[in-house]
Amino acid sequence: MTDTQWPRYMVLHQEQDNKPHQHAGTVHAPDAEMALLNARDVFVRRPDCVSLWVVRADLIFTRTQEELALHPDWLGNIQAAGVPTEIYYVFAKRTQKGQFSHVGEVEAENPAHALKMALQQYPAVDGLVWWVFPAKAVLKSTPDDIEAMFAPAAVKDFRDQANFHALSVLRKLMRKQETSNEP
Amino acid sequence: MYGATVDPIEDIRSDEEKLAEFEARIARGEKIEPGDWMPEEYRRQLIRMISQHAHSEVVGMLPEGAFITRAPNLRRKLILIAKVQDEGGHGQYLYHAAETLGATREEMLEALLSGKAKYSSIFNYPTLSWADMGAIGWLVDGAAILNQTMLAKCSYGPYARAMVRICAEENFHRRQGQDIVITLALGTPEQKAMMQDSINRWWWPTLMMFGPHDTDSPNSAVLIRWGIKTKTNDELRQSFVDQTAPELMALGLTIPDPNLYYDETSGHWHFGEIDWDEFWNVVKGNGPCNAERMATRRQAHEDGLWVREAMAAYAEKDQS
Amino acid sequence: MNPELKQALVDYLLAMADDELILGHRNSEWCGHAPILEEDIAFANIALDEIGHAIVWYELAADVLGEERDTYANRMVYFRDAPDYRNAQMVELPKGDWAFTMLRQYLFDQFEMVRLEKLTQSSYTPLAEAAAKICTEEIYHLRHTQAWVRRLGLGTEESNRRMQTALNELMRYYEQLFSPSLADTLLFEANIVPFQTELMVHTLELIVPFLVEANLIPPRGSNFVGPNDVIYRHEHTEHLNDLLSNLQQVARLDPMAKW
Repeated sequence: MTDTQWPRYMVLHQEQDNKPHQHAGTVHAPDAEMALLNARDVFVRRPDCVSLWVVRADLIFTRTQEELALHPDWLGNIQAAGVPTEIYYVFAKRTQKGQFSHVGEVEAENPAHALKMALQQYPAVDGLVWWVFPAKAVLKSTPDDIEAMFAPAAVKDFRDQANFHALSVLRKLMRKQETSNEP
Repeated sequence: MYGATVDPIEDIRSDEEKLAEFEARIARGEKIEPGDWMPEEYRRQLIRMISQHAHSEVVGMLPEGAFITRAPNLRRKLILIAKVQDEGGHGQYLYHAAETLGATREEMLEALLSGKAKYSSIFNYPTLSWADMGAIGWLVDGAAILNQTMLAKCSYGPYARAMVRICAEENFHRRQGQDIVITLALGTPEQKAMMQDSINRWWWPTLMMFGPHDTDSPNSAVLIRWGIKTKTNDELRQSFVDQTAPELMALGLTIPDPNLYYDETSGHWHFGEIDWDEFWNVVKGNGPCNAERMATRRQAHEDGLWVREAMAAYAEKDQS
Repeated sequence: MNPELKQALVDYLLAMADDELILGHRNSEWCGHAPILEEDIAFANIALDEIGHAIVWYELAADVLGEERDTYANRMVYFRDAPDYRNAQMVELPKGDWAFTMLRQYLFDQFEMVRLEKLTQSSYTPLAEAAAKICTEEIYHLRHTQAWVRRLGLGTEESNRRMQTALNELMRYYEQLFSPSLADTLLFEANIVPFQTELMVHTLELIVPFLVEANLIPPRGSNFVGPNDVIYRHEHTEHLNDLLSNLQQVARLDPMAKW
């Protein structure tokens, strides 16, 4: 029998209301609802989250700056075909060491078209890597979930390294030893 | 590979051009991202290293997990569950990083369970007493942090980002370990003896964690050249001894190395030679717990098969 | 509070605490052995929550008795023998397969949710406040376990069969959670805790249709009270002894030592 580890869902989390959603990682889940529940356990073990989104990883269309630079015509060749559009979320990684974060939304006919629209619509964003994915494919936590899903992490203070005093004890002992070693 | 691909973009550069540009990017401190061109060897080394690292986290849940039910007070119990849980989390983040290179978790787990893939040999040593929770937290996690702090700066974006997340959590692991060691070392004579016994057993395997000498490490040069590693095994091992030895000694604990002394001229702690026969023996699968660890992982994997299938079957029915 | 009522309240709190502790302990045994990595992590959270709740109840009992919270909680956990434990038998049974574990957690969560909602109305304010706090974590547990029970009930033939077997087994023990003690009557009359029968009716109203929808058949349908003899809370299966000898092993090496 072949094993299944289930499909992958991309997890995007928001630390505070006024900050954009950022990429956290992925979870393997049989469906979106389970993905959202597991995303909470995998990525919100510590209290820094007000909202979670999950989306099937295979629905994310991505291009790096390198790929785009190699083929400047590629974007130009993408033309609207006049078919119905839908909303796509746009995420980008803007600095070398940075994380992917939410840039905005575009209306587009397909993923490649969405990327083209994103580049036009957000010229000031110097994206090193771009992601676009259909908004309707995203399952989101709701504001009502904050208390049950995210607030409990705050009471688990035993995870907080600041609550361990090992270092101060050690330093004290080492100072004591140094002074006792002096002639 | 994050996901949806439309028409692939054809790369018309020659291999030499690609490699030169790739190495120039690394020299500039840029991060390589999925989708960017990379040498096959870079991809292969990363998948090997990251999946090995992920397996280590997952197998690493077992030796400490064995003491969750026996933790001696409620607070320690919560801490230990949270810690072992974090290790599962770290495995999860790392599998993700390897997945961005095209490896699937199914393949990686298959490689682990069939014995093809390696994981850190340290987890093939048994946990025999509560004091081992202290030694693992302080020594093993302490050693891991040195490696992970380095990897948080590595040239592959997803690996570096996973490491940043892991390092932040790993400090809690080391702190709770130090807390146990301090409590036992300063506790009753029996507790102190228990702690000393644990240090005696874990000290050398921890030093082995950094891997063979750089001269015997076939992958080191290429890993450093491509910015995956920025420090050598021996450099990291020396930092670990410099940092840890005086701290343990300040607690009145003895380090089981007669050749250990502080060398005023170099400003480093000199330590004895590692028993490399033991090292290679454990790597080859003959450590005290290799068979047991794999049997446990295989059992969990097989017991879970019907569960994973049922969940997938439900999802399929629900969609149709 | 008169001494008799005080004792009744302590007994009630200890029973709640012991249930959560032992269930949390059983759940923690999965950490590293779950069917998929994501669930190692998720289920460890549930174990952490349950043990966390146990601590809340032990500490509340300590407050009632005027004892030091942390010392009391640890003494109760590490230095009582099986006959002094007040947990229901359902939570001390070995963890079984994933179906058994998940269904036990669901049944317990639903019972707990119903009880906590009532306890938020308790005339004993510290109890009402603690219940309200714990309630928020339980909402998530219930979401998690319901999601699992539904999927495993409806998943494959094998998963359905395993779930049904687990349900048949668990239902024999479930009833004990609702059997009242004499002391409960005192507490009920003082508006401190809800009436056990009321909890049972309400819980059944919720679980029976849910299980049926998951293609699982409660053994006696909604007629829950069976011919079983009442099991008292000091009565335990042999499994509790094994569990405690493991749980208390290190702590009892030296009861006076700090760990």
